[in-house]
Order: sequence, then structure tokens, then C-alpha cells
Amino acid sequence: MRRFLRDNSMSIVFLMLFLAALCGQAIAGHADFNDTAVSHGDPTISLGRYVLSSDFGSAVMENWQSEYLQFTLFILLTVWLLQRGSPESKELDKPGRESDESQKVGPYAQQNSPRWAKVAGIRRTLFENSLVLVMTTIWLGTWLAQSLTGVAQYNADQLDHQQDPLSWSHYITTASFWENTLENWQSEFLAVGSMAILAVYLRQRGSPESKPVGAPHGATGVEG
Amino acid sequence: MAQRFHAALGKGDGQAACDQLNEETSSKLEQQEKKPCGEAILSLQLPKGGTVADTRVYITSAFATLAEGGTDFLDEGPDGWRVSAAGCEPTAPSQPYDCELEN
Repeated sequence: MRRFLRDNSMSIVFLMLFLAALCGQAIAGHADFNDTAVSHGDPTISLGRYVLSSDFGSAVMENWQSEYLQFTLFILLTVWLLQRGSPESKELDKPGRESDESQKVGPYAQQNSPRWAKVAGIRRTLFENSLVLVMTTIWLGTWLAQSLTGVAQYNADQLDHQQDPLSWSHYITTASFWENTLENWQSEFLAVGSMAILAVYLRQRGSPESKPVGAPHGATGVEG
Repeated sequence: MAQRFHAALGKGDGQAACDQLNEETSSKLEQQEKKPCGEAILSLQLPKGGTVADTRVYITSAFATLAEGGTDFLDEGPDGWRVSAAGCEPTAPSQPYDCELEN
């Protein structure tokens, strides 16, 4: 058990942090929703009702979709894009999908390689791209969920002001939907870009996200 | 709820109609008309009777369109759904409805 906790401490700790932050968001969001309702002369709702509402769902989904877009683009674009000196980049002479030998697939697979790395055809193609495929699927799914919960929230506000509700297809063309989407995207792209460049010159001893403390600034694709 | 509201108006039962209103709307009506709600509501040009042709619900807000014309807006509260605006007609696109009774 102790070994399990130690060997999986990263995912366990981040899961705990995620759950704590999600609970905190629900509590704060519920209070904010009810404050707004009171100021509009509208009825308040319970915490249980709030976490099942489109208001909460939209707030959660708009953040999730941008995180998964960030990972999708980061994983995919770093196949080809380089950053001299960054541990987030591959080495400068290795842009692209690389050789079968360096990727240990097919005849170059090792005995303990995953099964689909050893085979040819559609199974290897799927496995070779499985990370991007899954991240993209989650991104598109959560973005769709953002739009569905967002249109319900938008239309509740429309009715509160005695205005017509919008269809989903109309809502996804509105400034409101794109403002909610792009305010999250910009921060994700900024985070990746910042990390890529700051890690050229700054260090964090012991972190795999950093170069070794003594590594030169020009060393690329080196982790500590 | 909207159908009960208009049915009460059709029967001339102003108090029963007011029972379907939310507190804010009935208070505003009494302040504006300087009469009890049950009396004031019968003097408004609101559809009397009728059937609901279309209903849309979003979280705690809803609207109901009558087959005979006119739209009502409703809010859900601790006592259930209540009419917050009634006798509403569309104006310009993307603009609020013009309502005979509103909060």
C-alpha cells in the first residue's frame, strides 16, 4: 500500500487537489448565483440544485475544454515545433514523427513494449496517436458540454429579461459563447508559451519539468 | 401554471389569478394601480382563458406561449412556478418583450 501511494503520488495528490477545488468552486458558485438571484428579485436555489444546474456545468466545462485543448495542441505541435534551450522541446535535430527505430515500434519493439507497438496496421496507428486522439475527444466532448450548458444558462438570463431564448446553433455564434471560450484559450496558450520560454533560463532542482540546475541555457530537450 | 392563470382571468377570479403571480409582480401591480391585486389584475388587457402551445424551461426561468397569442414568463421559487410577466408581445429582434404585466 505504501509503495502504491509513493509510486502514484502525483496522480493521487492532483486528484485530491482537483476534488477540493471543484467542491470549493461549487460552494463559491452557489453563493454567487444566489447573490445575483436576490439582486434580480429571483428565487434562490439549494447547493444540490446548483451543482446539477447548467450554470455550474457551464463554468466547469468551459475550463475543462480549454485544458484538454491545451494538452491536445501541446502534445501534437511539439512533434514539429521546437524551442531552443527548453526542456519542453525535443532536441533541435529531431523534429517530426521520428523513425520506427527511435520510437521502438514494429521490428524495433522491445519484449516489454505495449502489444500494439509491436504489430503493424491500424492498431499500431491508433496506439501511436492514442494520446492525441483521446485528448482531442475529451476536448471536443467538454466543449460540446460547455455549449449545451451555456445555452441553457444564456437562455435563463434571456427569459429573466423577457427576451426570446436562442437555439443551440444560434448560441454558438454569439459573442457570449466565444468570449467564454476564448478567455480560457488565451490563458492556456499563455501558460504553455511561458513555460516553454521560462524553462530555458530558470531551473527547479529535482523537477522533470526543469533542466538540471547546471545545464546550459542552450541545452534543448534535457530534463532534470 | 400559465394556463391556470389565464383560466382564472377568464372566470373573472382576480384573486386566483394573483395566486399564480410571484410576489414581486403582484406587489408592483398593487403599487402601480393603487388597488388590491385581485381587483387590479382584472383591469389589465390580459388574455382570458386559452391553451399553452409552447413551453421552454431553462434552469429556474421559463416561458409559455398561448395558442391564442401572447407570452408569459415564469420563475421557479420555493413555492413552485409563478408568473413573473404576462400578456407579453415581441417587439424588435433581440429586444425585450412588451408586457402588460411585469415585475
